[in-house]
Amino acid sequence: MTSLSSHSPGALAAICSNLAKACEKQYRTEEFQLFNTLEQYFSKHMEQSVGKHLDELTGLIQVDLNETFVTCEQLASEQGDRGTLRALTWGKKVTSIHKSLLTRYAKQGEKLLDNGDLYICEACGFIAISSETPAMCPICKAPASRFSKVQ
Amino acid sequence: MHAVRNLRLCTKDCLCLFVCPTGATDTETGQIDFAKCIDGCRLCVDACPSHAISLILETYPEPKVKESTIQKALNILLESKVSQEQLCSSVASNSEKATKALATALARSTRILAEDCARESAFMLPQSESVRQFLAELVDKPYGEDFPYDTVKRLLELL
Repeated sequence: MTSLSSHSPGALAAICSNLAKACEKQYRTEEFQLFNTLEQYFSKHMEQSVGKHLDELTGLIQVDLNETFVTCEQLASEQGDRGTLRALTWGKKVTSIHKSLLTRYAKQGEKLLDNGDLYICEACGFIAISSETPAMCPICKAPASRFSKVQ
Repeated sequence: MHAVRNLRLCTKDCLCLFVCPTGATDTETGQIDFAKCIDGCRLCVDACPSHAISLILETYPEPKVKESTIQKALNILLESKVSQEQLCSSVASNSEKATKALATALARSTRILAEDCARESAFMLPQSESVRQFLAELVDKPYGEDFPYDTVKRLLELL
């Protein structure tokens, strides 16, 4: 078990929102709300990065694609940990989508959404620019009902 | 084990009302009355023509603890995704229109990726030893006065 001291408030927020979702799927309403309360506390205490630009994301993404995912994948393959390999396969694909969206944004700027809206797959994080809800997620194969439109 | 109804899949054919021996399936909220539901009965599960009813366990098998090297590697990825989420959230709150929408979508997407890292490293099942340990550690942490200690204690009671 990894110790909590190594987790940032942002990571603790993600741990709690993940557990809230797991409770919601089990129809455990009270536990769902309690984990959300914790998530809100940690989100509020997340470090704020002021005055940043989306350009800066590209560099961080590249480090993930070149190093972080690769290291994780090697370890998971050695251990035969297929659950982790599944998360990494989806995560890497979604991260590549982030990269291509940023490239399009760099070229088109505010015109990026002139011909469509942003839809996000709540199961894996895939983002589409589309004029209608995608029928199925190309990464995790979740159905249209798992997509949310980003306002 | 009790039955739950997925309201999005339910086609209101109401065959569950015919088979339920206790009337647990007939409620004003549309959800099954868990208190009236008979443990493991599953008559409604099998009768439902739209496969909208399933059974939920009260206790789950303890998940396999992951190798510590994998947990560490997943934590590094988790922290990386969280810092990307922070960047995107801050851009979203300081911009408008397409930039705001894209930054919002990226923040939500990176959160989902971070959650998946947390899930695979040690936090898959809320009713697991690693989550109880996590909550116990939170209770002992010297957070500020605004930290919801009661929330953590209640979770430890429930899980």
